Amino acid sequence: MYAIESSGLTKIYNGKRRTQKITALNSLDLQIDNGIIYGLLGPNGAGKTTFVKIILGIVNPTSGSAKLLGKNITDHEVRNKIGFLPENHKFPHYLSAEEVLKYFAKLRRFDSKNINSEIEKVLDKVKLSKWKKTKIKKFSKGMLQRLGLANAIITNPEILFLDEPTDGVDPIGRKEIKDLLLELKQNGKTVFINSHLLSEVESISDRVAILNKGNLIREGKVDDLITSKKNYIISCSEFIEDNIEILRANFQFTVNENFQINLKVDSTAELNSFMDKLRQHQIIINSINQQKSSLEDYFIKAIGDSDKI
Amino acid sequence: MKNIYSISLYTLREALSRKVFITFFAVSTFVLLIFTLLFSTISVEGFFSVSTVRPESTNSLLANVAGALKTMIVIPLYGGGLFLSIFSAASFIPNMLEKGSVDLMLSFPVSRREIILGKFFGGILMVLVNIAYLVLGIWLLIGIKFGNWDSSFLFAIPTIVFAFSSLYGMIILIGILTQNSVLSMMISYLIFFIFSPILSAKDSISSFINNGVVTFIIDVMHFIVPKTSELGSITANLAAGVSISDIEPFATSLIILILNLVLSIIIFNKKDY
Repeated sequence: MYAIESSGLTKIYNGKRRTQKITALNSLDLQIDNGIIYGLLGPNGAGKTTFVKIILGIVNPTSGSAKLLGKNITDHEVRNKIGFLPENHKFPHYLSAEEVLKYFAKLRRFDSKNINSEIEKVLDKVKLSKWKKTKIKKFSKGMLQRLGLANAIITNPEILFLDEPTDGVDPIGRKEIKDLLLELKQNGKTVFINSHLLSEVESISDRVAILNKGNLIREGKVDDLITSKKNYIISCSEFIEDNIEILRANFQFTVNENFQINLKVDSTAELNSFMDKLRQHQIIINSINQQKSSLEDYFIKAIGDSDKI
Repeated sequence: MKNIYSISLYTLREALSRKVFITFFAVSTFVLLIFTLLFSTISVEGFFSVSTVRPESTNSLLANVAGALKTMIVIPLYGGGLFLSIFSAASFIPNMLEKGSVDLMLSFPVSRREIILGKFFGGILMVLVNIAYLVLGIWLLIGIKFGNWDSSFLFAIPTIVFAFSSLYGMIILIGILTQNSVLSMMISYLIFFIFSPILSAKDSISSFINNGVVTFIIDVMHFIVPKTSELGSITANLAAGVSISDIEPFATSLIILILNLVLSIIIFNKKDY
């Protein structure tokens, strides 16, 4: 059983003119395992928020189906196991942090007899204990975001949906949120993140999907996506450049002043052949690493490639 | 059922926090204070000492005065009560549908039908508490002053609340369609102050109109607009101790209310936020 599963999920909005149709999501198939942190990426208007909203019953799909923890999303009871932090959420400003958590926990039928101690615990986790009695109209954007996160996790949900979770949060707060999400993952929870901050997603996500114009263009483990299978960095001990220059006829590479060779190959056999040649020339190899790009670079390239089609 | 109950209580809580409830309560208290002041300036004993009424007729005269007073009060009470109720409840749905709030609400394990019904009963509960406070307060003041404890005046509580509920169904529907509390209020006041009184005189008006289309429109309007005017007359009659002879205004208003709620639920279910 997957935590989140969608099959042929499509959403077409009506445009301003009756005949105009906007495809926000185009036949999206996704399977997300339990207990991982999953990042959904995409430029503005890619369909990320639409996907989350469909899954949570806020938007109705045009066609296709989706399941949460094996149950159809049309069964609203399944949302009892969900925590959600929407983008630009709006809590009733006349309530205090404590009251917000108590009220929303009740709406989610959180029957804990120790609700006050749970509130205490969760506010402590998001570093808002000192302000629990303060009306939230006095809260900064970062504090509201922390409260939103506390609200999403107070009922101990199985799946957590976070839309731009660190929006407006300072760097220290971001680090704390990141640690909290990793802790949730360790406790077996599934965390689904929708974010523009690619470095953040890269550092905590196990898998990511990239959407563009409603289509799924890439999906996989973060490491697999950002690791190039064609580019290698080979660190060598000092060598005479002439020894290596003769290899240029058969291989594509560059050399820097630190005796690092940046090699581009089409196959593992080609890589092995290059290594053999280095050894033949008495060049000592210290390390071989696959070249990694950042998720941001990968994302930009993927979107660029997708737009060309 | 538990969800509807939770959302109803939250709506009441929202009314309390947004000072809507307190404002309603303060206005009701102000009205009660005016009556208290008014009654304290009238001396019943003094009135009878200078009158030519025989002592054995005193009680019946007091009952008549109290009855007349109740009839005089009940119509403005009905109008004022409904006016305040509409004003207080019109923002419940548009506030809930604001971006950022609606996402959270819809992500809870609550069906959209339960949200609408919860908001409906929450609004009714708020109005019931305030109207009961106002009507009971006036009834107590009259009872203390004139020694008349005829309970028929208390029928104003269910009738005002019912009249409000028939309008509130429409407020919810307009709120879902437009997300605009001002428009909801304007249409409700238009129905209450203009359409309903005109349509209650439908038979008289129709006899003056030769145009078939206009007559048809009036007939249709008669069936789709809550009958707050007729319900006001029924409230006045009940307060005067006259029993209900025609339940048609109740029945049609109830049907309109149910239709509005069903339509609200259907549209709310189909909408994307």
